[in-house]
Amino acid sequence: MDGNDVALTGVSMRFGDFTAVHPTDLTIGAGEFFSILGPSGCGKTTILRMISGFLDPSSGDIAIGGRSMAGIGPNRRPTALIFQNLALFPLMTVWENVAFGLEARGVALADRKRRADELLALVALDGQGGKKPTELSGGQRQRVAVARALAVEPAVLLLDEPLSALDLKLRQHMRAELKDIQRRTGVTFIYITHDQGEALTMSDRIAVMNAGRVEQVGTGDEIYDTPASPFVATFVGEQNMFQGRVASVSGGTAVVDTALGPLHGVARGGLAAGDQALVFVRPERVGLVEADDGEAVNRVDAEVERRDLEGSFVNLFLRAGDQRISLHLTNAGAGRDVVSGRRRVGFRPADAVVMGVGEVARE
Amino acid sequence: MLLTAAWVLGLIVVPQLRMIERAFIVDQRGDEAALVATEIERAYARVFAIDQDLLRAADGAAAPTAPSPFAPSPSSRATGAASPERTAALEAEKAEAQARIVELEAREAEIQAADRTTYALGNFTGMSRIHAWIFVSTLFYALCVTVLSFLACYPVAYAVATARRGERVALLMLGLVIPYAINELLRIFSWVMILEKQGILNGALDALGLIDMAAGEGVRFVASNGAVFVVMVYAYILFMVFPIYNTIETLDRNQIEAARDLGASAWRIHWRVVLPHAKPGIAVGAVMTFMLSAGSIAAPEIVGRGLHPDWFSQVIYRRFFESSNWNQGSAYALVLLVACVVFVLVVMKLFRVGIRDIAK
Repeated sequence: MDGNDVALTGVSMRFGDFTAVHPTDLTIGAGEFFSILGPSGCGKTTILRMISGFLDPSSGDIAIGGRSMAGIGPNRRPTALIFQNLALFPLMTVWENVAFGLEARGVALADRKRRADELLALVALDGQGGKKPTELSGGQRQRVAVARALAVEPAVLLLDEPLSALDLKLRQHMRAELKDIQRRTGVTFIYITHDQGEALTMSDRIAVMNAGRVEQVGTGDEIYDTPASPFVATFVGEQNMFQGRVASVSGGTAVVDTALGPLHGVARGGLAAGDQALVFVRPERVGLVEADDGEAVNRVDAEVERRDLEGSFVNLFLRAGDQRISLHLTNAGAGRDVVSGRRRVGFRPADAVVMGVGEVARE
Repeated sequence: MLLTAAWVLGLIVVPQLRMIERAFIVDQRGDEAALVATEIERAYARVFAIDQDLLRAADGAAAPTAPSPFAPSPSSRATGAASPERTAALEAEKAEAQARIVELEAREAEIQAADRTTYALGNFTGMSRIHAWIFVSTLFYALCVTVLSFLACYPVAYAVATARRGERVALLMLGLVIPYAINELLRIFSWVMILEKQGILNGALDALGLIDMAAGEGVRFVASNGAVFVVMVYAYILFMVFPIYNTIETLDRNQIEAARDLGASAWRIHWRVVLPHAKPGIAVGAVMTFMLSAGSIAAPEIVGRGLHPDWFSQVIYRRFFESSNWNQGSAYALVLLVACVVFVLVVMKLFRVGIRDIAK
């Protein structure tokens, strides 16, 4: 599948005085499962609507397969959009829904029927074509929407939080199913979501957006382990955050003076001694350590406040002065036994990220 | 509950039953009774005219030197001059007319006493071929008006329903609602002024140089069925726009976008997505417009000026007020009502719209 790549160059969108999307460059490879992740109002849906053609960018250009989409309406773009509420046609039968795009292209009735049946088989809805969408369950309707969009053989499938209306179990199931359909069809998927779990499990790459800007583009691991900004660090996954002032930076490692003493971490961005800085470390990378483990770096003594049982995992919440520290432990050994008391916790400098102060995701 | 019962009884059941009853009464001596009634009417009119003359004569006698500037003074002076003889003559005539009224009223009472009213279908079967033809034509005309209204109103309703900004909606609503604050007759008359031979439309054509009004050219738009249709479409626009607007407004905008995204043309989006969704609204609008135009009397009477093909409503009107044959008028009105109801039910069946959909 060549020529299905999507390239945004300097694309921005303004509504009056409000800038929904600041000039953005993005390249999405052919056959990629690409997610745009961000809180509501960050401009991700605006980007999707610009790619699908319902909005014209205020500046910049969108090209699909090397062809500029300027001046091409949504009905003539090689894209198909799956709406958040699916927008199935309630008065048509399931197969008519699926075949609607073919009908619009003037495909003969017999061919439409045959193609609709094939697509319904692809999404495991064989034999359901004669029903009305309202007679199907939420997950089935979801699959009808996918089949309807795939029927027009789009180069790019755009998905606008299509799973948000489903319950958790079904959502997890549909994640796997969508990923599977994407792999089998080779269509480029651009997936909009505010749910980091969805983005991390399904995507080849993720763009994290905040306030109209793409803050980071990378694989799930890159986003999770080496966030580019405090916003990305706090929006994706859980974080322990320590505030302080940079004492020294050398060889990619920064030492930050905090209320709990100096903390070491990997320096991100340009940092200099004396700067206000934030140290981030994931709860599952903080561990309980012995008081005399011989290591002096990144050690904090704290009081256990609460222990939340999640089943195979345990969340441990500790407090050291004003600083809260959370730990994510497996429910075995110390994770099972520690319920209260004063404990020493620690983490490796390589697991901590040090960044200059910036906008932090509010939860 | 009581209120509803009173409402249904007073406003629906009693008048309808009365009309239906009248429709089936065949007056055996209908012709003579009608004649007598007409004569009584004439005699009363004569008495009234004589009274007026007497008053004028009295005025002339009392103030011959100061004639009212509003009265035609020479004639009033003339009658004033001849007042004694003339007054006497008028008095005599009045007495005669009053005597005639007494006589006629006695005769009428006699007729009514002897009246053997029977229930029969005579009022229906007695419908003339011409009236039957007018009846069928009227249903066809009403259908034309309904179709024209739909064609005119659907784009408007769609535009209003899909307008994004609140201001635009408000403006369009005002543009449609404010005309309805004006009396229907006034609106019809204003259309007559537009469509007249010396009217605004011809004036506009004249200004464009298409016709020369000074040379007596000009199209007489009024007094044609086309003009009646135009006026009716205008008169009933709201009844068509609002139901359609209401249903389109409930359509999920995403469905329109989805259809567009899947490559559908504007025409196909309307045909496959918007129109099916708006069907109940269209049905309501069509039913209302059809009923109203089939029963409309003002528009064909005023715009048509008797020069265009008659509408059945005009025939009914004349049965009542010119032929004084209320029974047959009732029968005709009942026929029209039944035909309309049947027509509406057939149309609903054809469009597969249920009462339930309309009630939504």
